[in-house]
Amino acid sequence: MDQKSAGLNITIFFCQQIDPDQDTNRRALEKELGKRIRFFPLPCSGRIDPLHLMGALESGADKVYLVTCPEGACRYQEGNLRARKRIAYTQGLIEEIGLERERLELIITPAGNPVTVDELARGLLAREALIGPSPIRG
Amino acid sequence: MKTDSQLKKVLNRGEFAVTAECGPPKGADPEAVRNKGRILKGYVDSVNVTDNQTGVVRLCSLAACALLKQEGLDPVLQMVTRDRNRIALQSDILGASALGIRNILCLSGDHQSFGNQPHSKGVFDIDSVQLVQAVRQMRDRGHIIGGDKLTEPPRLFIGAVANPFADPFKYRVARLATKVDAGAEFIQTQCIYNLNRFKEWMGLVKEYGLDNQVYILGGITPLKSARMAEYMAAQVAGMDIPVEIINRMKSVPAKEQRQEGIRIAVETIEALKEIEGVHGVHIMAIEWEDAVPQIVEEGKLFPRPEV
Amino acid sequence: MITAERKPLSEIKEMIAPYRKILVVGCGSCVAECASGGEKETGLLGSALRMDAKSSKKEIEVKEMTLDRQCVYEFINQLTDVIDQYDVVLSLGCGAGVQAVAGVFPKVHIVPALNTTFIGETKEAGLWVESCRACGDCKLGFFAAVCPVTRCAKGLFNGPCGGSRTDRCEVDPDVPCAWQLIVSRLEEMGRLDLLRKVHPPADWSKQQGKGPRKIHREDQST
Repeated sequence: MDQKSAGLNITIFFCQQIDPDQDTNRRALEKELGKRIRFFPLPCSGRIDPLHLMGALESGADKVYLVTCPEGACRYQEGNLRARKRIAYTQGLIEEIGLERERLELIITPAGNPVTVDELARGLLAREALIGPSPIRG
Repeated sequence: MKTDSQLKKVLNRGEFAVTAECGPPKGADPEAVRNKGRILKGYVDSVNVTDNQTGVVRLCSLAACALLKQEGLDPVLQMVTRDRNRIALQSDILGASALGIRNILCLSGDHQSFGNQPHSKGVFDIDSVQLVQAVRQMRDRGHIIGGDKLTEPPRLFIGAVANPFADPFKYRVARLATKVDAGAEFIQTQCIYNLNRFKEWMGLVKEYGLDNQVYILGGITPLKSARMAEYMAAQVAGMDIPVEIINRMKSVPAKEQRQEGIRIAVETIEALKEIEGVHGVHIMAIEWEDAVPQIVEEGKLFPRPEV
Repeated sequence: MITAERKPLSEIKEMIAPYRKILVVGCGSCVAECASGGEKETGLLGSALRMDAKSSKKEIEVKEMTLDRQCVYEFINQLTDVIDQYDVVLSLGCGAGVQAVAGVFPKVHIVPALNTTFIGETKEAGLWVESCRACGDCKLGFFAAVCPVTRCAKGLFNGPCGGSRTDRCEVDPDVPCAWQLIVSRLEEMGRLDLLRKVHPPADWSKQQGKGPRKIHREDQST
């Protein structure tokens, strides 16, 4: 079963450099899925803070994605590398409370193949649901 | 018990001195110490007893020295500052002298993290130079650290160690000078395999005029095997084993490597005898005390002088 | 600054297990600088504890608060009106902070969330190293501002041990030999003469002689 049909709550933090029209592009999907999908544009994926990731999980996300621009393409040089470290740190923290580290995932958009944020999100929703609803949803 | 240090007598007479190292057992067996003493007796002037070497718990140096004394040897009490504060160190110094031990070698000691008690607290209340100074004050001025008078001073010949192979190289001799200033009367060096570097170091020792102020005993450790040579070169801190030595050990079949190790030791002793300012050798045959008589004989250092 | 690291969550959970209402108190000073007990880390810990309770169907109430300094009464006082509503205070202060809060509110159970580690400097982003043991008798002036008490594994005052090789400490090859640094810096300054004297045994009573130390300044008191 894919993640959409499984009814999972998905939160996507993303580097807004990957899609200049993200604001418009994501609307249809937001309308369709309502609270089940949440988008958080970041000026750079390196600006992600573990607190944001924890906040998303705490407010009921089953799966949290952090989408970065392609490696080597960060306009702030190392933002996407930093993003990887923040994800790893937060994965360690959620493991300590018994959550699967897979609830947090880093997605690096492929180089030379621009995607809109809604295409990207639909791709993620179509992925096989490997984890169920989070115990935090209660 | 009013005898003097045999080591001191030999050195003062200008003889080329021979000391050896004896590692106490990892248990309470006095025979293990006595047996090692019996092997060494007659072949060396004095015997060093290590103090929980590499941070591994062993029968204490003080007790082992007392056992060797009973066997008629002249023990050198090795004392490290890692495990005891100045109260315990000074107390043990008095105890050693009371038991007739006449030599002390002052060291800081291998760091506790290397041994079998890595969670212990490293004391290091004082360092090895300060320990030398403390023993010297106790003996010559009759007072302990802080100035309190002793009813009877300890009688000890005071030694320290030097590593000619550690960095910073040039400063190593300055450090030796500090130890001599603090009161060291004899020095035992790290094992010598790199003779060129040792000669270079001795040159600096002479430049500082230290060869006239302190007796220097060159360290000798016979290699048991090529593997031991490689291990020591790579893993033991402050050890300098040139590739040529390792290759030479490798060039002979495994069962002849011990003999080759002894041959290298003997050659090194012969070379050391020719270096001005070297007053003797200190043989550290690690868990191989029975190699010492052969090395001493082949090094033409037998019989030992009667003084 | 004083550095600290968070305790494993399992240890924290064990300490707060008997309690339902938990006040998590951060500190905005040293432990914020070393990213272990500031506002952000306090938020993370609060969030983790809430999620943990929820996933194990335990009812707890967690509130976070961060004081500018947890070791000074004027700031601790901010807890006065809130603290009574909680069963336990989980402090992300250093050991001094935890004890200072406990001193002001002796009836409340205050437990530490951090292991206080050392006095150190921020070497680079994400890297803190120990540089002072607060021995109470600073001798950095003799040692080219490299502390042998802290940075030499054996705390040697009179030169390097026999183990240093190519400027690394024998105990940990990731650590530079303090004495190598002292010697080379003094050499550059032309002050190797400073190493000629034998330093006498240190006065450790200034560090630990009579239990906890105290500084009392009449001119500063009210």
